[in-house]
Amino acid sequence: MIARTLAARERTRVPPGANEDQRLRAVPAEDDKPRDLAELCEQFVLVCESAVDPLEISSALEFDGLNDQAARELYGFSDVFALAEEMYWRVPRQPAEPEPVADPWRISKLRSAMHGLIYGLPAVCFPAASGLLNGPGALRALVVALLSSWALSQGLAYLGYARLGRSDPVQAARVMLPGMTAGTGATALVMALTALTGHVHLPVLAFGFGLGTYMLGATVLMVLGAERLLLIVLAPAVLGSAAFLALGRPHYLEYATWGALAATPALALGLATWRARRKSGFFGRRRGATAKKREAAGPLITAADLRGALPSVGFGLVVAGLLVFPVAAALPGRPDTGALIASLPLALSMGVAEWTLVWFRRRTQRLLRATREVPVFAHRARLTLFTALLHYLTAAALLTATAAAVMITAHLIHPHWTLAPQIAAYLALGGAMFVALLLQAFGSRIFPLITCAAALAFEVLWRRLGVLGQLAACTELLVTLTAYAAHVLGKAVRHAP
Amino acid sequence: MKIAMMTEGTYPYSFGGVSVWCDQLIRGLTGYDFSLVAIVATGAERMVWPLPGNVVAVDRVPLWSTAPAGPTVSRRNGLPVGLLRELIDSLLDSSAEAQPRFTGVLRELFEFAQRGNLSAALGSDKAVRLLSEAWMERPPPAHWRTAPTLHDAVSAMQLLDHALRPLSCPPPQADLAHAVTNGLAVLPALAAKWRYGTPVIVTEHGVYLREQYLQNRKSPYRWPVKAIYLSFMRRLCALGYSEAGAITPGNVYNRRWEERLGAKPGRIRTVYNGVDPADFPALSGEPDAPTISWVGRIDPIKDVETLVRAFALVRQEMPAARLRLFGSPPKGRESYLERCQALTADLGITGAVTFEGRVENIADAYAAGQIVALSSVSEGFPYSLIEAMTCGRTCVATDVGGVTEAVGDTGLVVPPRNPKLMARACLTLLQDDDLRHRLGTAARTRALQNFTVDGAISAFDEVYSLVSAARPGRPGWTERAIEDPSDDLLPWKAAK
Repeated sequence: MIARTLAARERTRVPPGANEDQRLRAVPAEDDKPRDLAELCEQFVLVCESAVDPLEISSALEFDGLNDQAARELYGFSDVFALAEEMYWRVPRQPAEPEPVADPWRISKLRSAMHGLIYGLPAVCFPAASGLLNGPGALRALVVALLSSWALSQGLAYLGYARLGRSDPVQAARVMLPGMTAGTGATALVMALTALTGHVHLPVLAFGFGLGTYMLGATVLMVLGAERLLLIVLAPAVLGSAAFLALGRPHYLEYATWGALAATPALALGLATWRARRKSGFFGRRRGATAKKREAAGPLITAADLRGALPSVGFGLVVAGLLVFPVAAALPGRPDTGALIASLPLALSMGVAEWTLVWFRRRTQRLLRATREVPVFAHRARLTLFTALLHYLTAAALLTATAAAVMITAHLIHPHWTLAPQIAAYLALGGAMFVALLLQAFGSRIFPLITCAAALAFEVLWRRLGVLGQLAACTELLVTLTAYAAHVLGKAVRHAP
Repeated sequence: MKIAMMTEGTYPYSFGGVSVWCDQLIRGLTGYDFSLVAIVATGAERMVWPLPGNVVAVDRVPLWSTAPAGPTVSRRNGLPVGLLRELIDSLLDSSAEAQPRFTGVLRELFEFAQRGNLSAALGSDKAVRLLSEAWMERPPPAHWRTAPTLHDAVSAMQLLDHALRPLSCPPPQADLAHAVTNGLAVLPALAAKWRYGTPVIVTEHGVYLREQYLQNRKSPYRWPVKAIYLSFMRRLCALGYSEAGAITPGNVYNRRWEERLGAKPGRIRTVYNGVDPADFPALSGEPDAPTISWVGRIDPIKDVETLVRAFALVRQEMPAARLRLFGSPPKGRESYLERCQALTADLGITGAVTFEGRVENIADAYAAGQIVALSSVSEGFPYSLIEAMTCGRTCVATDVGGVTEAVGDTGLVVPPRNPKLMARACLTLLQDDDLRHRLGTAARTRALQNFTVDGAISAFDEVYSLVSAARPGRPGWTERAIEDPSDDLLPWKAAK
């Protein structure tokens, strides 16, 4: 059959009785094609060396415009397939390594440090706002605000990152706006419910609402990769609070500071809205067209999205609980200085955690490319995990020591040996958060949620144990998560690119 | 009668030639109901075609969604270790038994996917271990640099997992399964055949496997991954051809590959693309200046550079000549347009070459030139040619894919990447008014006879009833050859 077709095709070149013009078709290719097979092999040497079979060479020859006619007339083969087969056997396999792809996990230390600052800086606002945060139920309202804002922003971040993971930045930007609006509404509702369950001063409620909206706006900006805008957002509250504290809380600056505190959530909402609209192509497009597209796209947030966001919401809730419960439990009475010096460096160390996570991922990727046997990989990946954890814990300990030294020299706290277990507990919690982050990054979301919830439950149920209970819970959490991670991340398949 | 139509990366989620064809076919075959099975990338795609009334359902099969398709893993359905090993062996095996082994294993994978979680099995640590061990058991390749690593094993299993996702979906229930491309779109069709005995038709506009080879030349994967993945695609395409009751390529040129991969000649029937003559009425006048018109995507595969170079040669003899290029570059690949514009400037013909962008009414683009040119290095059966022909314009086109079949003797066909010959052909037609008009009229006659949408629709109407009437198992079916009317079209038919 092939032979018949080929013979027939040959005849097409010069149809019987064709006039002069149609004979043009019969003119052989007058181009850069080499005249003998050795030269042709030379020209296609890269294709031949990397070919997995002769058909791959056939497709390359045809793509270059070499057809059956040329195979016959120039090289004396019955067709392109036969020519390619000969080339496949003539040129030995010597496949080129693929072009190194851009490292998707490249993250600069500067960016990580910036993230650390973004997590840590808001801490300075709490002491500055202490004038606002008084009256009955203030602490309760604050804890509720922290829990709800962590939970909601983690859920929103999931919706965004899930779309970014599908390489759909436009959808990610589009889901941010309704998500942020719904989150803001939910925060308002939560604060209102808090007010209904007991007397709370209005400024406390306003502060809690501001905290919630700031967290949501910040999440949007982080998902959309606009960390620099986030620094602008933070500027009024952080600079205002810092100046207020540095000047010794002068009475005449109180209202100005509170104004600065209020500016930050407003800025967060405004800039996040602007950024999300720009990234989703809202501007510069006719509204009708947008509405039509929206209709075609179906619902923006599906039930599967919400189910997927649940573990993130839960995790946000539990982590916020683990962070604030010890502080909250120490009250009423004087503020718990130990919790303060320990939790601030923890927030700052999240930048280190992020950087270490990327380091771990790049390290294991390199390992995967250099290893041929599954057990060897498992062993080395575990070693890398322990190294990463050690790396993070060292950095967090250094940050804590620095923070403590600064606070002691500034006479903010008085050193006392009883602080040690609490600092250790927060360090263990930091380590556990790091491992949980790592597990989540590698697709394991349920186990960290359950273990963290168990640790929180332990702290709450055995709150009489105080610091020791916290230390036990956090250490146990760290050990469990690390053991689980050593098991899971030792599997090569978990490191699928 | 209900047809399950399988697409991959095209209708109804993106534009392009294949989607136009699907839309035309479904709208034309009003007597049939269609349920679409669209293989898509992530599942977040938006539908871009308004669906005809006879489309009764659209099922999306995302290949790259995160959530694994199909039922969740249950403890009763353990890992099919033997099956995974057999899959890997059949892909690494280069002997003649490999193809039947692959056929067997694919069917078993389908059976497994219907009750267990195939995606989880292929994505398991055990699967990676099996592949890395299979690689190590075989004699190391002479080229030491390509020693496969665990990264390769993980990547390869990941690719297979995503490629086999369609097996986990419920098989479509219809009287006939029509895959409008070979490759992954054949998987749901095979599933229907295995489960319900549904006959299968495979249509090809471009040769799927050939495109796979070309795409993977620039893949980020190392040789061992590329080898196993292309081995999978080769075996799958060969299976698609052998299981199909009818293969309907878009041109005779594709048959070479189809037959090379084992398609039985008696089951092949060429069905050419068609256009609606009402959309492309005969053009009455010609532009004043001698003009060459070109319509398409500004893309390297269209080799616009050769056309520009050829035009520079035309200008030397006809200083009044003009070249008008209608079309825009695909999104994100505008650099080729810039390259073409730079070339125009280098050749000093900037004023005479115009990049017109997209046109509202495409017939205007053909009206803009005395002749229509096509300089592509690769084509299936280009719409732009048959549209121009329907308008009554003669063409100068490169000898790729189905171009000679479309043009026949109503235009001039030149080798690809050859500006000199292309220029000579253009000059011949631009300078000889009589010849040009004669060929233009002949082109319209040829197109109206052979390349109308009605022709394509009635051809499929015929193939559908033929194939569905002959359910497999009936005596005489396999021996019965399908008439290929395209034979009448080809000049060598007379010489046979």
